[in-house]
Amino acid sequence: MSESVKQILDRLQPDSYMGRFGKVYTDTSDFMRITGGDVIVLDQQHYLVLRDEVERSYGIEDPKYWVKRCRHLESGERRLLKLVFHEKFTLQMGELKVLCYRSPRKEARILDLVRGDSRFMQGFSAEDEKDNKIRVLDIIKGKRLDNWIYKLDVDHKTYFQAYLPEILQKFIASCQAIQYLHAKGEKHGDIRRDHLWVEHGSGEYVWIDFDYTFDFHENPFGLDIFGLGGLLLYIVGKGFYSPKEIDHMYGNEKDAPDIKQEDFLLVFKNRLANLHKIFPYIPEELNRVLMHFSSGTRVAYESLDEFIHDLRPCLKQLA
Amino acid sequence: MDANKILIAVDGSENSRRSIDYVSDILRGCAQYTIKLLSIEHLPDRDFFVDDTAWKKACEKKREELLSFLYDGKQMLTEQGISENMIHTDYIENCHSPLPGEPGYCSRGTSIALDILHKAKEENFGTVVIGRRGVSKAEEFMFGSVSNKIIHSTSDCTIWVVQ
Repeated sequence: MSESVKQILDRLQPDSYMGRFGKVYTDTSDFMRITGGDVIVLDQQHYLVLRDEVERSYGIEDPKYWVKRCRHLESGERRLLKLVFHEKFTLQMGELKVLCYRSPRKEARILDLVRGDSRFMQGFSAEDEKDNKIRVLDIIKGKRLDNWIYKLDVDHKTYFQAYLPEILQKFIASCQAIQYLHAKGEKHGDIRRDHLWVEHGSGEYVWIDFDYTFDFHENPFGLDIFGLGGLLLYIVGKGFYSPKEIDHMYGNEKDAPDIKQEDFLLVFKNRLANLHKIFPYIPEELNRVLMHFSSGTRVAYESLDEFIHDLRPCLKQLA
Repeated sequence: MDANKILIAVDGSENSRRSIDYVSDILRGCAQYTIKLLSIEHLPDRDFFVDDTAWKKACEKKREELLSFLYDGKQMLTEQGISENMIHTDYIENCHSPLPGEPGYCSRGTSIALDILHKAKEENFGTVVIGRRGVSKAEEFMFGSVSNKIIHSTSDCTIWVVQ
């Protein structure tokens, strides 16, 4: 007869307090049922479920029922378990619609590819008794890069001079990490502001969440490249600037810049790409990289090689 | 390049059908031209499927559809009076296909445009015909465009882009 949760805890973590002794799961297919106090068994390792992971956006908490915060009972360490959730959905990006798919096996493959590479979240995959490919992830101790930047209590000029050189240097290293994936025929698939984290202590930037995929056959890495462009814009601007925010910055001043539609991003048309117009100390070269993602651009980056090639000299200028 | 050799790149879409229609209208009654209908296999993304069985099934379905389209395309041309022995078809398999394939050139799946141009050069086609979806600038930059890439990547043959 298999062990109960209480027996497992008594054996592996006798000193721990548990409010609820749940069930032992060796099949995670019905992930909605698995909750705090349950134990998931994978490859003879035991993971005590603490709670569902929650994504916070604009002050709203969105539970991710297929992602469980756990304690690995054999080591006592915290882990994230991503259970199998096959989801196909349309991602709305400005006016564009992109068909995306959540692929456990893609993420498992990338975890294997980047093992030991500190630029990416670490973990491994294991199959439960129904062959569900579960990803067992180390928890990153740190903060989202965008939140960290947003909370720096300095004006833009101070930020630009005191912080941006180091941030840009690390961002380029993060781009090289994605370039490595592309060279291996893989894509991140979901490059967003909240998927690049700053690790406490080391200060290194770490990519998370590789399970999205999309299918652009003539420009296979297009979404990653545009994602990095958007992230660069946020980093350089210390935020995004909509027409309303720009109006607010200048009020009725006569020296308000003449901003046209072509100065905004090609995809998200309410985000100013031509930052030079509001922050004139941004060098032309760096602004030119941003403008490749604007509505006015005539040429887009087809590869990260081109993007990084243009970005590196900007770093020297800032330094 | 042989000006009498025309390569029509097709993908089973309405744009491809329009390309075939256009060429048959232009060449009706011209005996000296040879035409090849070319299709490059584009596999459904493996990661979009729960397992390899489902993926393989989707690959089979897609291959059947494209081979059937090539057959229909040939019929469309012969019905317009173009001699059957002047029309050829070619299906380039993907190198990573789970289905059995013929030996020879295969598509690596990184650029259909470059695969088309490779065949055009290898077989000395003077004209490449391609349909156009008519995408926005944002779509073109993000998703890529086969017709635009062909236009920008060739210098030694004529390109007809059919709207």
